[in-house]
Amino acid sequence: MELLSKISFNLQSGFDETVTALTKEAVEKRIPPDEIMNIGLIAGMNIVGEKFKNHEIFLPDVLLAARAMNCAMEVLKPLLIKDGIPIKGKVVIGSVKNDLHDIGKNLVAILLKGAGFEVIDLGNDVPAEKFIRVAAEENADVIGMSALLTTTMPVMKKVVDMAKDEGLYSEVKIMVGGAPVSKAFALEIGADAYSYDGANAVETVESFFRENS
Amino acid sequence: MRSITKFAMEDIKLPQKEILRSQGIPDEASLSENFERIYMEAAELFQELAEPKAIIAGIGVSDFEEVFRGEGLNEKENPVEEIFRKSSHLALFAVTLGPVLSEKVTELFDNGKYAIGYMLDSVSSYAADKLADLAAQHLYAEIVGRAAPANSLRVLNYSPGYCGWHMSGQKKLFEALRPEEIGITLNESCLMSPIKSVSGVLIGGPGEIHEFVNSYPFCNTCIARSCIERMRNAVMDAGG
Ligand code: B1M
Repeated sequence: MELLSKISFNLQSGFDETVTALTKEAVEKRIPPDEIMNIGLIAGMNIVGEKFKNHEIFLPDVLLAARAMNCAMEVLKPLLIKDGIPIKGKVVIGSVKNDLHDIGKNLVAILLKGAGFEVIDLGNDVPAEKFIRVAAEENADVIGMSALLTTTMPVMKKVVDMAKDEGLYSEVKIMVGGAPVSKAFALEIGADAYSYDGANAVETVESFFRENS
Repeated sequence: MRSITKFAMEDIKLPQKEILRSQGIPDEASLSENFERIYMEAAELFQELAEPKAIIAGIGVSDFEEVFRGEGLNEKENPVEEIFRKSSHLALFAVTLGPVLSEKVTELFDNGKYAIGYMLDSVSSYAADKLADLAAQHLYAEIVGRAAPANSLRVLNYSPGYCGWHMSGQKKLFEALRPEEIGITLNESCLMSPIKSVSGVLIGGPGEIHEFVNSYPFCNTCIARSCIERMRNAVMDAGG
């Protein structure tokens, strides 16, 4: 089997160690890193995404594949940077202040990484100021916020308001999600999008970049 | 009555199909080998790390009125208010699986073991929910032990954040119950730590008192939608 197909195949099966080893082998064989990424890894993740959508596989299978993708990307990242290949986009993500729940946010972050975005994960209990500061410092394209309870949702509005005050609102897209969050709430606070699950979050972020191109 | 109970692990059943259903996976789905392995690992970790505990404290109707009123933010019309006024037994409760499980989930995610981390979180969420049912069974057993109950005695749990009982109701509930004694704390946003914890009131009385028509304005936007099932099944479970 051709090396890049092998990478894609093993990634779909969630074999992280094999995928990492094959990625290293591909680098040694001087296959361009963006080809390894696009034809091997991202192609594999796309198949995983399709199978997931069709309920042929389930979230844990996707997470195994995402881990394999991330491990391989660790190998490729320095090479991609060296070659000046632009990253797909940068997302700053976190669970809002006083929200100690982060499983949903973690899933979103992993799937975004798996789709090739650079993700800066601020963790949980993140104050509004930190979202804004890091987004500005890192020149992020997207701020993603997660909340578990209605009582922690007001921080999301604070971030949107601060983004307006700091002149960041037109530079960065703001996406919100979490069990009690809704599209209506996102609209009400002036966020750019609401997303209901990890796969939808990836589609939403992809759509931001389609809008911009 | 105020009691602290440590549940035995065999009290907590982990029916795989039900847990997977809570992940949106249909019963007839064919699962990959990887999936099955991850599930088994998570179930084992759960058995090893869970520290299920409950605190239950009886309360009279007038004292509970005060707790329920909370910060005055409940929906004007809500089923809980109608139900508790018709009850024969009321007790505040909080249950937790302890901090270690959630720490383990975080550790697994930090180490890139996302699939097992997710599965452990999911198993724990299911179990925490069931722990609240166990608390209801506990109160039922307590009542039955004291006096022969009417045949139709049913004990069901109701929680702030559901059915028009505002989340801020957690504050008064915590003041009255003091679940810190079993390690549960509340932050200013009414979020409990450990995360796998549930709080609320156990309401005992004839089965019919738990029945209501789910046509309150807030029912439209409810994402839980478990009331019908609860009225039908959980009532039976709790009542034995
Ligand atoms: C940046 O862009 C994005 C984009 C998408 C994003 C995103 C960010 N962040 C998330 N997403 C989205 O993608 C993720 C992946 O698919 C998803 O992330 P989630 O984090 O939502 O998904 C997780 C992977 C799985 N989902 C979950 O873990 C939550 C599922 C539901 C059913 C739920 C569960 C399981 C639990 N709970 Co409770 N719980 C509910 C939930 C109702 C629901 N149907 O969602 C909710 C959140 N709970 C609620 C409540 C009230 C409570 N719960 C409680 C307890 C529990 C359990 C322990 C039993 C259990 C686990 C809790 C936990 N989170 O670990 C209590 C609070 C716990 C605490 N520590 O304070 C308690 C307060 C009840 C009580 N009084 O005890 C409600 C909140 C209502 C409100 N007003 O805020 C609730 C909405 C249920 C309801 N009433 O309908 C999406 O939301």
